[in-house]
This record gives sequence, structure tokens and C-alpha cells, in this order.
Amino acid sequence: MKTSGIILAVFLALAASGANIEGTAVIKKQLTKRRVTAAVPPYQRGQGVGLAADAESDPLDAERSRVAIWLEDPIPPNVGTPAVAMTEVVRMAQENRSFVPETVVIPAGGKVSFPNLDPIFHNVFSLSKPKAFDLGNYRKGETRTVTFPKPGIVFVNCRLHPNMTGVIVVAPNQWNTKADGSGRFVLKDVPPGKYTVVAWHKAAGFFRQQLQITAGHDLKIEFLIPLGFEDGRLQTKR
Amino acid sequence: MRFRTRAFLLCFVPFSLLLTGSFWAIQNVVQSSVRNNLRESLRENHSSIARLRSRTDLQNSRFLRVAGENASLKAGLQLLLLNASDGSAGIDALRTVEDQLRELCEQMGFDFLLVSDPRGKPLAAVIRSGDRVSALDATPLRAPQRGLLMLAGKIYQIASVPVDQAEENLGSLSVGEIFDFSGFSAPAVLIHNGVAIRSSLLGISLSEAGRAFAGCSGVAECDVLLGGATYFSLPLQNISFGDGYVLRSLQNMDSATAPLHAVLNEVFLTALTVALLAAMVFSLASSRSIVKPISAMIQHLRTSEGTGLLPEFRGDPSPILEMRELTSSFNRAAAAILDGRQSLEKAYMGFVGALANALDARDQSTSGHSQRVSELAGATGAALGVTGEALEEIRIGALLHDIGKIGIPDCVLLKPGRLTDEEFAIVKQHPEIGRRILEGVNGFVPYLGAVEFHHENWDGTGYPSGQAGMQTPLAARIIHVSDAYDAMTSDRPYRPGMSHREAIAILHRYAGTQFDPRVVELFAALAAQDQDTEIESLAEAVLQ
Repeated sequence: MKTSGIILAVFLALAASGANIEGTAVIKKQLTKRRVTAAVPPYQRGQGVGLAADAESDPLDAERSRVAIWLEDPIPPNVGTPAVAMTEVVRMAQENRSFVPETVVIPAGGKVSFPNLDPIFHNVFSLSKPKAFDLGNYRKGETRTVTFPKPGIVFVNCRLHPNMTGVIVVAPNQWNTKADGSGRFVLKDVPPGKYTVVAWHKAAGFFRQQLQITAGHDLKIEFLIPLGFEDGRLQTKR
Repeated sequence: MRFRTRAFLLCFVPFSLLLTGSFWAIQNVVQSSVRNNLRESLRENHSSIARLRSRTDLQNSRFLRVAGENASLKAGLQLLLLNASDGSAGIDALRTVEDQLRELCEQMGFDFLLVSDPRGKPLAAVIRSGDRVSALDATPLRAPQRGLLMLAGKIYQIASVPVDQAEENLGSLSVGEIFDFSGFSAPAVLIHNGVAIRSSLLGISLSEAGRAFAGCSGVAECDVLLGGATYFSLPLQNISFGDGYVLRSLQNMDSATAPLHAVLNEVFLTALTVALLAAMVFSLASSRSIVKPISAMIQHLRTSEGTGLLPEFRGDPSPILEMRELTSSFNRAAAAILDGRQSLEKAYMGFVGALANALDARDQSTSGHSQRVSELAGATGAALGVTGEALEEIRIGALLHDIGKIGIPDCVLLKPGRLTDEEFAIVKQHPEIGRRILEGVNGFVPYLGAVEFHHENWDGTGYPSGQAGMQTPLAARIIHVSDAYDAMTSDRPYRPGMSHREAIAILHRYAGTQFDPRVVELFAALAAQDQDTEIESLAEAVLQ
């Protein structure tokens, strides 16, 4: 892994105008297909439900979309930490016995709501250090909201459904995002300066890249996320 | 029945009965021991199945204990218990638990899952059919903690485990698998309250099986007849299926023992046939050897029957004591009979002589006539080549020939001088009178001809019947000639006797008319010899 080869250091007088960091999270490991459980709504008494089948989607899509990317503190001194819009509430629903989306990335101080969309009870709790909570059991239609003041990784689970797991990545600032199915991501409007970009995948861990942003010059970076064993050897390079 | 047949049967029948009986008994013993072995193996099989089952049960129980420790299920149960009375929340809670059960069902591979509250009331249940899992209303279910449950025509084998949280019992989890006969190497029938509900026997309906097992209730080992075959059945006692359920495993005795029985039958039949054949041969031989000495005796008796004589039996002395005794007894009896016959003959001859003497005593002039005629006729008969009985017939017939004269009045018989025609007619009746006298005595029958016809002439002019030629019996013809000769050569009060030559001449003259010419010829030749001997005896007397 190497940093992007081309860094154009063009200083623009306009401090407000930053540059975008575009990147790709590359996961090469050929994964087995994800196992998905049956949807809940058709599941009613007397109506048979087929046994678990393999999902049709590319398992790598799901893995790529689990990658969270943010800029690590400390932010260069010339860039002030901008205020996070506290009103925005990110939704992590419980649907079909899963947290949807499974991964959310919020800035510190952000809120996440946990609406239950299934016709069955769910329970949302976390034992993670940045934020431990237990929302109890609640039915369809009910929503509970949690504020995450400290940055860190928060795993959420459901007591009733041990296979349900979600991740809330609480980033230290507003420059955070997660990769889409194809692994692409964009960190918008990053002020010029020297940064450490962090990519995180819950199975592979943290990956960091140092880079220099100059105003008006978008950067392209690439994270190679190793998953599991490749060539019989666990990839530990981070 | 012939002696030989009897000996054969007496030998063969008990022999064959004994053989058949013992073969039958041996075969039965062998077959029953085969059956017992089979029974033993089935019992062994049973206990191994039971051991296997109990081991699986043990493993299942461990597995189940883990399932009972499922935290999310505990959470679900708690949720359900908390919300049970709360309308729609209760329904959602129930649905949550059913959903959990469905997942468990999927993961653990059971066919049936049920959770009950601490009092045993069923709360939620799911059932798998094919590759689909569905929830069902648990309230009416009466699932045992352990045993069999009939549900929608299927039988589930149920096992339960309590679900506890700390010290508190939240309820119990029951898991079920569709009961089938896998793991049973022998065919088996599941009976519920006397009704057969499942069977791994092919081609036999459950109702038939139920009827067959009706007599087996309460009996451990039991033989049943199914589809024409005998099955030995044992209940699987080590496995509990709950109230009223009995699982009986079966072993087809017929098919299991059939090959062996076939071999046994073949061996025994062959052996029996050989043994019976041997018995038959031995019996035949022994009956032959028993009958052999007796059959010689019988043959001897049969021959004597033909000849009318009873000679002594002169065979090789038999090695058998009884046979020797029998032979000597027979010989003694034969000798006694011979003795008796001889003395009878003697008495008879004495009687005949007495009769002749009685006749001679009446008429002095003819004294010795009968004796002489008898001798002459006997000699003539012998010269003619007559022997044995026939010669005896001639001799005795001649002795008796004039017996009828007893019935002629003295005035006629003893009259000196010539007889009148009337008197002569009376005299001519004497052959018939003689016949009548002798005819009543059985022993005289052979001489009747000689007595009756000794006055018949060769040309048919004689009396009483006027028979001619060969019609007249030979004895009568010989006696005729001898009688005439003796009468002619004997002295009478009224005339002297003729000389031999004259008499022979007269005989020659009437040969062919009055007498049988051949007899006369022989007689003459014989008389000539006699004459010579007489002359010789006279000469001898003179010389001395």
C-alpha cells in the first residue's frame, strides 16, 4: 500500500474552500455469501417460512459498505473543529432481525434513533466503552434515541436476537463517511492541511494514511483492507 | 396273510415308526433350538438398540441443556411472561418467541419446538414440515415432558429441558423429532392404547397389525401372525414413549428360520428315506430268514397233500432249535399217522377177509374160492403191469366179488344138481346184491366195479348190465376170467373139477366172446408157469 502518488500543493487564498478526498476501500478477499434470515413480516402463525438461504448480493459489497472512514484527531491547528449539527439524528432501524443500516458513522455528540420496524420485539443495548446503554424491549413503531458524546466504536446488539449486531462509529469530527457497496467514499470539503485518514473495518481493524491537503486539489486515495486469511497467512499489515 | 408278510410287517412297521418318530423329534428339537437362538439374538439386538437409544438420549439431554441455556430465549420467555396479559403487546411477544423458536428450530434441526410456562401450560410452538417452519397455536397441545406426541398425523418424539434463570424457572423447552424407525434394524410396530399407529413392516396394514397384537397386551414376549408369517415380538422396554405407547420390534421367524429349516428338512428327509430303505431291506431279509425253514416244511406238506401220503420230513437239520423241534414233532406225528393208517388197513383187510370167509363158510363146496380167485386175479393184474392201488383194487375186488351170494337163499345156493331157470335168475342177482352190500361203506367204493361187473361178457351178453369190451372195468374182466377158471377146476358135488388144460382150453374157446382175449392170453401164460411151479413142487415132494 502506498499513498497516492500525486499530491498537488496548490495553495488557494480562500481558506473556506477545501478539497475533497476521494478514495476506494479495496477488499480483495473472495468471501462466502452472506447468510440472511427470512424477512419477518410474512412470518405469521400458520404460514410456513422457508429455511435460510444465501443472499443474492455480492458479499464483498456488504463488507465494503462496512468500512468507515474519518479524519483522525488532532486536526491541524490552522483548521478549527467545526460545530457538529446536533439536530441531525441518524437512523438505525431494526428490520428483519437486523440493524439497518448495519454500520452508521456519526460525529461525536451525534444522535442515533433505533426505530423497530419488525412486528416483533427488539431490544437494543451496548456494552461498548464510549457509550454503554440498554434501551429495553420495545415493539414495532417505537423508537428510542441515543446520543453519543464520545468518539469511538460502539457495538449495538439485541438481547432477543443474538445475531443482530450493528456498529456505530462515532468519529471525532464532521469529516466522516463510510464506503458504498463498491468501496468508494468521499470526504468533502477538507480544509488544507496535514491529516491522518483512518479507515476501519470491524473485522480488519484500523488503517491509516497521512496526507496533505491543498486547497482546490482533490486527492484520490486507496485503502486495501485485508480480510481473513490470504495465501494461508493472516494479513496483519495495517 | 402270509407268514412272510407278517414277519416283514412286524419287523418293518415298528422300525419305521421308531425311525420316523425319532427323526421328527430330533428335527423339532433342532428347530426349536434355532428358534430360541433367534429369540436370543433378537433380545440382544433389542438391548443394543436400547443402549444406543439411551446414549442418544444422553447426548440429546446435554444438547438440550445447552439449548435451555439460550440467553435470548430466556429473554424472550421473560418478555412473554411479562407481556402475556397485555393484549397486542402479548401477541407481539408471542410472535417474538415464536420467531426465536423458528430460528432455533432451523439451527438445531428439530421438527418441533415448544415452550411452556413454569406450570406446564404451552405458550408457543413451531413445527417443521418439509423445508418450511411454521408456528402453530400451542394452547391445545398436550405434549408430554418426554414421550410421543401425535400432531397432524405425525408422531413426534419429545424431550424437554427446563429453562431457568438463576434460581427462577421460566418454563421449559420441548423439542421434538419425527419418530421413525431409523435405527431399528428389525421391523417394528408402534402401538398406542392397543391400536397400531406406525409400522415399518411393508405390505401389512396397520389395522391388521393392530388385530395381530391384540393378544399381546401386557405380554412381554409374544408371537404374532402377520401376513401369513410368524413374527416374534418384544416390546422395547428400555425406551419410554409415554403413556399408552408401546414399541414392539419384530423378527420374522419364518423367513429367519426358513433356509435352515429347508436344509434341515432336506437332510432329515434324505436320512429318513435312507434309513427307511435300509429298514425295509433288513426287514425283508429277516422275514426271509425267519420264513425260510418253515417254508421248506410248508413245501413238504404241500407235496404230501398232492400225494396223499405223509412221509417224514428229511431236510437238513435246521440250526434253529424250535425248527428242529417242529421237524421232529412233525416226523413223530407223521410216523403215528402212518402207523394208524397201517393198523387201519390191517383191520380193514381183516374185515374183508372175514367177509370172504363168511361167504366161503356158507358153501363148503366153494371153500377157498374167493382167496384163490383173489390170488389169480392179483397175479394176472401184476402180469398186466398194474401196480399199487389199482392192483390192490383187483386183489380185494376179487376177494369180495361173490359177496352178494350172502343174499342168495340157501335152497338155491346150496342146491345139489342143476338149477332151474328161476333159481339161476336168483343166482344171477348176486353181483347187484354185492354192490348194494358194499356201496354203503366208503372204503369199498373202489371195488364196486369189480363186484358188480365180474359177470359181464366181452361181447355184451353178460349180466347185470350187458356191458361189452373195454366198457367193463379191467378188474372185473380179470376177475371174470379168474372166477371161471377156478370154478371149472374146482370139484363140485355134482361133477368133478376139470383139469388145467381143459379149463384153459375152454377159456381160449370163449376168449373174444365171453372173456377179454388179452386177459385170457396172459392168464393162460401165467397158469402155465404156475403149473410148472406146481409140478416142480410135486417133484420135489416125491424125491424127498
